[in-house]
Amino acid sequence: MKTPLAWLNLLHEKTRLLVAIAGVAFAVLLIFMNLGFLGALSLTATQIYSQMNAEIFLRSPQTLEISTTKSFPRERLYQIAGVEGVQQTMPVYVGYQQWRNPETRFSRAMFVYGINPRDPVFTLPELQAPEAIAALQRPNTVFIDRLSRPEFGPQTTGIETESDRRRVEIGGQFTLGGGFASDGTLIVSDQNFLRLFAPRPLNRIDLGLVKLQPGADVEAVKATVRQLLPADVTVLTQEEIIGRDRDFWIGTTSTGFIFSMGVAVSFIVGTVIVYQILYTDISDHLPEYATLKAMGYRSRYLFKIVLQEAVILAVMGYVPGLILSLGLYELTTNATSGGLPMGMTVGRVVFVLLLTVSMCALSGLISVRKVVTADPAEVFS
Amino acid sequence: MMDANPTPHNNHAAANSNAGVAIAQSTPAVETHGLNYYFGQGDLRKQVLFDLNLTFPRGQIAIITGPSGSGKTTFLSLIGALRTIHDGSLKVMGRELVGMNNAQLVEVRRGIGFIFQAHNLFESLTAVQNVEMAVELLGGFGSKRAQAIAMLEQLGLGHRVTYKPNSLSGGQKQRVAIARALVNQPQLILADEPTAALDKESGRDVVTLMQTLAKEQSCTILMVTHDNRILDVADRIINLVDGRLESDTSMRDFVTAHDPKTLDPRMFML
Repeated sequence: MKTPLAWLNLLHEKTRLLVAIAGVAFAVLLIFMNLGFLGALSLTATQIYSQMNAEIFLRSPQTLEISTTKSFPRERLYQIAGVEGVQQTMPVYVGYQQWRNPETRFSRAMFVYGINPRDPVFTLPELQAPEAIAALQRPNTVFIDRLSRPEFGPQTTGIETESDRRRVEIGGQFTLGGGFASDGTLIVSDQNFLRLFAPRPLNRIDLGLVKLQPGADVEAVKATVRQLLPADVTVLTQEEIIGRDRDFWIGTTSTGFIFSMGVAVSFIVGTVIVYQILYTDISDHLPEYATLKAMGYRSRYLFKIVLQEAVILAVMGYVPGLILSLGLYELTTNATSGGLPMGMTVGRVVFVLLLTVSMCALSGLISVRKVVTADPAEVFS
Repeated sequence: MMDANPTPHNNHAAANSNAGVAIAQSTPAVETHGLNYYFGQGDLRKQVLFDLNLTFPRGQIAIITGPSGSGKTTFLSLIGALRTIHDGSLKVMGRELVGMNNAQLVEVRRGIGFIFQAHNLFESLTAVQNVEMAVELLGGFGSKRAQAIAMLEQLGLGHRVTYKPNSLSGGQKQRVAIARALVNQPQLILADEPTAALDKESGRDVVTLMQTLAKEQSCTILMVTHDNRILDVADRIINLVDGRLESDTSMRDFVTAHDPKTLDPRMFML
C-alpha cells in the first residue's frame, strides 16, 4: 500500500484540519440553507395547487402567480362545463384584506380565498364536513389557516375581529400554509367574499378550476377547452400551473435571485477557505515536495496528493455540514409554523455533496500550480 | 580512468555485489565533456559553468569545493538531472543527459540518491515512512517496510523507526534523510553540504556512515562541502572557481600541498 501522504499531511496539523473542516462545514451549511429556502419556495408554490381539487386550471394570461391575479369572466367556466370528460367547474376568488389581530389590534395583510362552500375546491377534509359548509355559508364568517403567523392572533372559533372595517367571526380552521405569498390565509364563501371585497363583482373570477371525470384524458380535455375558449384565458394542467408559479418565484423575483446568489456566494466562500488551507499546506511543505520531485516523483503524483487532500476535506466537512443543516431545517420549519416546509431530499444531498467535492477540487486546482511548478533544483540551496 | 571495456553495466548486479567486484564496472559513473551552463535568457544570460571536462569512475568519493558562487551546487544539480542542459555532454551512468526531456530526466533521478543540507523530511511521516517514500518510487510495496527498517538499522536508528522528525535530533534527522537516499541502493549519491546543519561529532558520524555504505554498495559519491573536517573521506578533491575547474587533486596530493612543511616559502614574499 502506498503511504497515505495526503491523509497524514492533513492529520499532522490538527488545529488547521479542524479549521478547514469547520470552514467547509460552514459553506455546506450555507449552501444547504439556501437550497432549502429555494426548495421550500417551489414547494409552497406547489402546495396550494396540489391541494386544489382539479386537473385543469383557467386563469388570465396576465396573472403572474396565485396572489397576483387578473380576473376573467365567469362565463368561461359555463362555456366549457358541457365538454366531454368535465365533471365540474368551480370559480375561485382571491384577494388581500387587512386582518386585525383581536388581541393587539394591529392590522396585517391576510390572503383570502373566496369559494362556493358547496364546491369541493380544496381537498382538505375539514372543509367538506356539512357543519363546515354550513358555517362558511353564514354571513361574515371566515375560516382561518392554522399555519398563519402568530401575529394574526388567536384562531379559536367564535372570536370576532375586523377585516377591512367589517366585523367578521372565525367559524373554523383548516391547514393549508401560505408560503412566500402570504403570512396568513382565510377561506370565505363567495357571498362573504362579495361583502368583504365590495364592489368587486362575482362574475369576474381569478381562478377557474375544472374537475374531470375519473379516467378522463387530461390532455385531450385541455385541448378541447383551449379550442372553445377565447384568448382571454390560459388553460393549464396542474403540473403546468405549478411550474409557472415556481418559475415566477425562482426566476423573476428577488427572492429566487437571493437564494441562488446565496448558493453561489457560499460556494465561493468554501472555495476560498479550502484554497487557503491547501495553499498554506503546500507552502509549508514546499521543500519536501521539491525533494520528492528530486527523488524522481512526477508532478502528476504531487497533483494527486493535493487533490486527495481537497477531496478528504470536502467529505470531512460535508458530513457535519449535512447534520447541522438537518437540524436547522427542522428549526426553520418549526419557526415558521410549517409555513416554510424545509425538507431534505436525496437529490439535494447528492447535489450538495458533488458541489462540495467540486468546490474543494477547484481550490485544489488553483493551489496545485505552486507545487507542480516547484523547481526540484531549488532544494540545492 | 577511462576504461575501454565494452561490457554493458548492470545496475542490479552492481548493487548486489560486493565492493571489489563493482569497482571493475566499466562505464564511469559521471562523465562530462565541454559542459557549459547558463542562467537566464537574452541579455541577462550569464554563464555559470565553463567547459568542464571531468570523469568520475565508479566507487569514487569526490568532494567539490569552491567559494560561494563558483557554480559547484549548479554542477551538482546538473549531474542530478534536475535541470535541462543544452550545451556540451554530460553522461550519468552511461546515459547522456544533454537534450533529455523532463520525463527522461525524472527516470534518471530515480537512480540517484540525494542528500541535502536541510533534511527535508515530511514532519507528518514517521522516520520509516519517510524512507518508504523512496522505496515506493521503484514499486517495492510488499517489502518496503522491511527494506526501510533494515536501512535505518544500518544507520543506527533501529530504535527510532516510528518516531516523527520532531522527536529526532539534527543528526538523527540527517541520518534518516541518508537512509532515504540510500535505501534503493543507488549507484550515485549526490550530497549538498550534508554536514552543514550538524555539530562536529554528528557531522563526522554522518560522513563516516556514508563512506562505509558507499564502499559496501560500491557507489559513487559526489559531495559539495565547505566543511574541512570531513575532507579526509574523499578520494579526490575538485575545486571550482567562477565556474571553471581550478584544481583536481587526489587526496594524497591535496594533503601534501596543504602541509605547512612543504609550503612554498615564496608564498610569504610580499
